[in-house]
Amino acid sequence: MRNLLSALFTLLIFPGFGFLFVCALAFQWIDRKVAARLQGRIGPPWFQPLADFVKLMAKEDVLPTGAHEQACAVLPMVSLAAVLTTALVVPIGRHATSAFEGDLIVALFLLSLPALAYFLAGWLSVSVFSVVGGSRALLQYFAYEVPFLMALGGPAILCGSWSISRIAVHQSQTVWMMFVQPVGFLLAFVGLIGKLKRSPFDIPKAKSEIGAGPLTEFSGRKLALWHLSLDMKTVVGIFLLVNIFLGGSFTDLALPTALIFGVKALLILLAFSVAGVLYARLRIDQLASLGWRVLAPLALVQTLIVIWIGVR
Amino acid sequence: MTRVTIPIGPQHPALKEPLSFLLTVEGEQIMESALRIGYVHRGLERIFQNRSYLQNVHVVERICGICSHIHTTAYCQAVEALLGLEIPPRALYLRTLLCELERIHSHLLWLGVLAEHIGFTTIFMYAWRDREIVLDIMEELSGGRVAHAVNVIGGVRIDLDQEHVHSILQRLDELERQVETFLGVVQHERTLQARTRGVGHLSAEQVRRYCVVGPVARASGVDVDLRRDAPYAAYASLDFQVITAEEGDVWARTMVRALESIESLHICRQLLQQLPEGPLTVRASRRVPPGEVVSRCEAPRGELVYYIRSDGSDRPARVKVRTPTLTTLITLPDQLRGVNTADVPTVLSGVDLCIACADR
Amino acid sequence: MSRLVKSLAHLLPELVRTLFGGRVTVRFPFAPLDLPAYFRGKVVIRPELCVGCGLCVRDCPAFALELVRESREQFRLIHYHDRCAYCGQCEDSCRQGAIVLVNEFVQATSRRDTLAQVAVERGTTTQQNLDEA
Repeated sequence: MRNLLSALFTLLIFPGFGFLFVCALAFQWIDRKVAARLQGRIGPPWFQPLADFVKLMAKEDVLPTGAHEQACAVLPMVSLAAVLTTALVVPIGRHATSAFEGDLIVALFLLSLPALAYFLAGWLSVSVFSVVGGSRALLQYFAYEVPFLMALGGPAILCGSWSISRIAVHQSQTVWMMFVQPVGFLLAFVGLIGKLKRSPFDIPKAKSEIGAGPLTEFSGRKLALWHLSLDMKTVVGIFLLVNIFLGGSFTDLALPTALIFGVKALLILLAFSVAGVLYARLRIDQLASLGWRVLAPLALVQTLIVIWIGVR
Repeated sequence: MTRVTIPIGPQHPALKEPLSFLLTVEGEQIMESALRIGYVHRGLERIFQNRSYLQNVHVVERICGICSHIHTTAYCQAVEALLGLEIPPRALYLRTLLCELERIHSHLLWLGVLAEHIGFTTIFMYAWRDREIVLDIMEELSGGRVAHAVNVIGGVRIDLDQEHVHSILQRLDELERQVETFLGVVQHERTLQARTRGVGHLSAEQVRRYCVVGPVARASGVDVDLRRDAPYAAYASLDFQVITAEEGDVWARTMVRALESIESLHICRQLLQQLPEGPLTVRASRRVPPGEVVSRCEAPRGELVYYIRSDGSDRPARVKVRTPTLTTLITLPDQLRGVNTADVPTVLSGVDLCIACADR
Repeated sequence: MSRLVKSLAHLLPELVRTLFGGRVTVRFPFAPLDLPAYFRGKVVIRPELCVGCGLCVRDCPAFALELVRESREQFRLIHYHDRCAYCGQCEDSCRQGAIVLVNEFVQATSRRDTLAQVAVERGTTTQQNLDEA
């Protein structure tokens, strides 16, 4: 009985759905507020993301004729489920809910499911804007995913383990991976911007060109769940980066775990906000060119260096 | 590959005013486009015939929101020519001052809109923040931010004192610093150049064939500017340069407009420092003797032409307006051929459309 | 190297400057808004100065003023706020200086009939009663 209650607590409250829900809304608010202040605006009040979510849940749900209704109903839930499952293997604080050798591979696989669901959502809701947005999302996926995976593989090779928890612990004994592999960190950072479809890589949902991209035809609860899954992906992605490159929450200083982890996560979030505000949006062919001509070779070089250091 | 037809407009996030494009797209490249205008047609040329010359000054202002003053300038110049009036120099200087302030305002607005369309929201916010400086100056001078009601037939109805002149000069200095920052961004910033260079190319030969005017023509190397070629208002006594560029793409147009804004700031300074004393209006009779006149001005978007025919009464017999946006609209199907779908908003913004002007 | 940094992080100084004190949002209606004195806002017609000549009616481009005349001493001047374009032509045309555009701009009302305002009422019974009282 106690095991059941404890499992339910982990899944639903902390570090499961409840905690991630609050984090997702908080991260969205911080991001919007920082971007606003950098642009000379005031920014939304703290409850704005919550208000948006509640409002969307209460709205009517319409799909165009010809769109595949059941698939469109299931896809946001697939995306949300994938992100929530990834959170089980990413250490939040000192422990991951479930840690095993190879959980890094599982996490990366699960984190690419939302991208596929996003593309399918565009394809199956038949309007022109959605289809074009969906094809752009798929092109973008191929541009950033390879450098991202290779960049995240580097610390795994150096730390000698494919478990995120062990990589985090290993850094507390040696040095942060960010300093050993700065290029890898940069690639993972840029790749995560592409994965989360943030500016300057928010090409699939380029407002001025194709409406809202793949999610143009979604409304009501489906849209609320889509936005929630994308916000949670931001949280989980940042937590992943903190653990793999910034040493998780393991440190010699006598400070509470939550504080250290939170500060590192917020620093990455701030870097995301500034990077989003600093540039114009790239075109999809420019992103593909950037991905394959600059990022992928850099990732290859970084991986080769890591293997050479590891072999020695 | 299959061909898809994408409708851009009449309602589209990339368009500020209704305009309809039907783009035939293969993959990401545009094959053909069909253009339809007329969604904001209000029949203003007919409305002018139902009102007196005096009433029309205010109706003319409302053809367009951004270039409202230049419309009244062109209209008042035409009627004053029919009446044979000589406008006092102080009035001409004040008219020109508002023309140039409006040019700066229009270019800053356009820069923000272009930046928003290429996803550079920060420049959008900054440009419109700095545009507030110009709008505040215009509000203090004339009583309205966009509908200035400065011109009357016979002169202007606003005035400046020395203290006001000093305060405006200070704010223009601050504005020049900001515009220099934007110029730096356009010249050096990588992502903006990646999105605007080579996009929407117009050759000088195409410009001449379609009779394109304004910054779009000047950015393709065609040196036309009415302020220098056919001076009106106070331009004959001012010293300024006409900015041209050679590349003919959206980046060149951005450079031309940014440099033109700085040139306009210099002109404003000259006007304020050399403001002559004297009356502000001359008496103008309500009835206009029969005749016809063509009046041309350099609006922020190019050459604005007014044709007025009078029959001796206090109402015009015919007012014909040719706005500069009409000339640039015709080039859009040519510019869009072979362009990436992602570049459509960039191309549309690059020609600085003012559909309200074009449709009247 | 510095050119690469300049081309990639060109806006950073401006971003930092805006972050520390460049907020331009105007807080109206949660804070009062100051307008220049010359702002063309509410049309104020002073009944004691109006002689009912009708110049303002003739020159209004939006046909927002109406003069209803019963006799030489009895007339009503009606201003239609919903037609008015706030251009200021009536202020210029009035030879008595009876019309002034002040810089009040909050004029919204929830009743349509209040938008047709009888600005001047001269020579009717109501006016006579007011004079006698």
